[in-house]
Amino acid sequence: MRVTGVNSLLMPPPSAILVRLVEMLGPGQGATPDFLMLRHIGMTMVALLAGFFLAALVSSAIGLIMGMNRTIFAWFNPIISMFMVIPNIAFVPVIILWMGLGLKTVIVVVITGSCFPIIYTAAAGVQSVPKRMIWAAQTAGASRRQILTTVLLGATMPYLIAGHKLALGRAWRAVIAGEIFASTAYGVGFMIFDARTFLDSKAMFAGLIVVGLTGVALERVLFGYIERRTVVKWGISTSKDL
Amino acid sequence: MNSIKISANGLEKRYNPETSDEVLAIEDVTLDIGEGEFVSLLGPSGCGKSTFLFMVGGFEQQTAGTLTLNGAPITGPGSNRGIVFQEYVLFPWQIVAKNIAYGLRVSGVDKATLDARVAELISMIGLEGFENAYPESLSGGMKQRVAIARALAYDPEILLMDEPFGALDAQTRSRMIQDLTKIHSETNKTTLFVTHSVEESILLSDRIALFSARPSRIKQVFDIDIPHPRSVTDARFVAYEEKILESLNEEVQRTTDSSSTMT
Repeated sequence: MRVTGVNSLLMPPPSAILVRLVEMLGPGQGATPDFLMLRHIGMTMVALLAGFFLAALVSSAIGLIMGMNRTIFAWFNPIISMFMVIPNIAFVPVIILWMGLGLKTVIVVVITGSCFPIIYTAAAGVQSVPKRMIWAAQTAGASRRQILTTVLLGATMPYLIAGHKLALGRAWRAVIAGEIFASTAYGVGFMIFDARTFLDSKAMFAGLIVVGLTGVALERVLFGYIERRTVVKWGISTSKDL
Repeated sequence: MNSIKISANGLEKRYNPETSDEVLAIEDVTLDIGEGEFVSLLGPSGCGKSTFLFMVGGFEQQTAGTLTLNGAPITGPGSNRGIVFQEYVLFPWQIVAKNIAYGLRVSGVDKATLDARVAELISMIGLEGFENAYPESLSGGMKQRVAIARALAYDPEILLMDEPFGALDAQTRSRMIQDLTKIHSETNKTTLFVTHSVEESILLSDRIALFSARPSRIKQVFDIDIPHPRSVTDARFVAYEEKILESLNEEVQRTTDSSSTMT
């Protein structure tokens, strides 16, 4: 099927995009290195996962502490709310100014993109734990530390998972934006932006498809297992048929 | 009465004291509860009977008066008490056996003792075969059994129950009443049982403390002198029911009156 009257340079037909995608996945021709697209994906994944996991580790802890302590919450919540509304891409010029171009910069962009939703939902999760659940634990003799490890973590799990899912979505936006501005050689974001110099619109669309598919696959891999082991097994998940 | 376990003297509870939102929930409660006694706290909705229970639990502090457990003032929650809530409040991420064992696990009891104790409780509440089930897969009655077992597991001196059967259907509730009667006669735990059901309180209690409408006082204390197992068709039951309902209805009426003058 062909839609006529469309400039195929601006809007290439799906078949052509697919051909270009396969070409970029395979061995290189001429000046193009082998498995070009895989190199781009690889670099993007390194920046994405490094940034996301660093953010996850630190932000979960910060969020839990904020949720447990009213004073800390009162101080930090307005700041977090403010950062939540600033589009992540607006941080990129500043981060480039501080750190120059390269992978490290992209990782920091990813961290700034993914940390706030995690902090926010972890704090909200702790605050949503029913007071009586804490009472039940206290009455059974649990110390403050035991309440954290045996009650708060479990009770907050649905929130933590939702927060990390949200953060992973934000991390994808951040990594692509970061690569567009700060990458020097590889990365899907870099590739999409670089392709414009050659008017290679098929590669741009191939890049978008790769981002979307990899994103969905990564979410399934990272969270599918965790959800099946936790909230789905406990029967407190809304996405039981995942 | 046996030796006194819990003693409340001139107990008062104000919420938000000295602000415009001040509420006098409990005006003056004086009540002694003996060791091994089963006492129901009965009263109209919002009369402060749960507040009293939570003060015994150590979750709330009184604003005047004294409240002692074994002669010492109650300063906070502790494992000499066990608590059961209307909404069960189990830990949904833990299987039944782990929920029951919670108090033993946090106090570091060795595994053999713990397993034996859990098995004993599972059989007492009749949930054999559900040890590895997650709470969400259980019915309301089963969840409440687990909650009772969790509260009894670490052998507290006192069992505090806040309308534990309030969310259950009639059949499950009457079964739970029978079972709780049996559990009480076997363990002989001092039990404080908050309810708004006259029937529940007569079937279960040695004594019923009837709370007045807010700000609450103990209006009347009824000694229920009927041997167990008790039946709702027993003439003595009917006589108590009539007497207590009459007294309770006066308070319910006062609650309704005061809320209608407020609006």
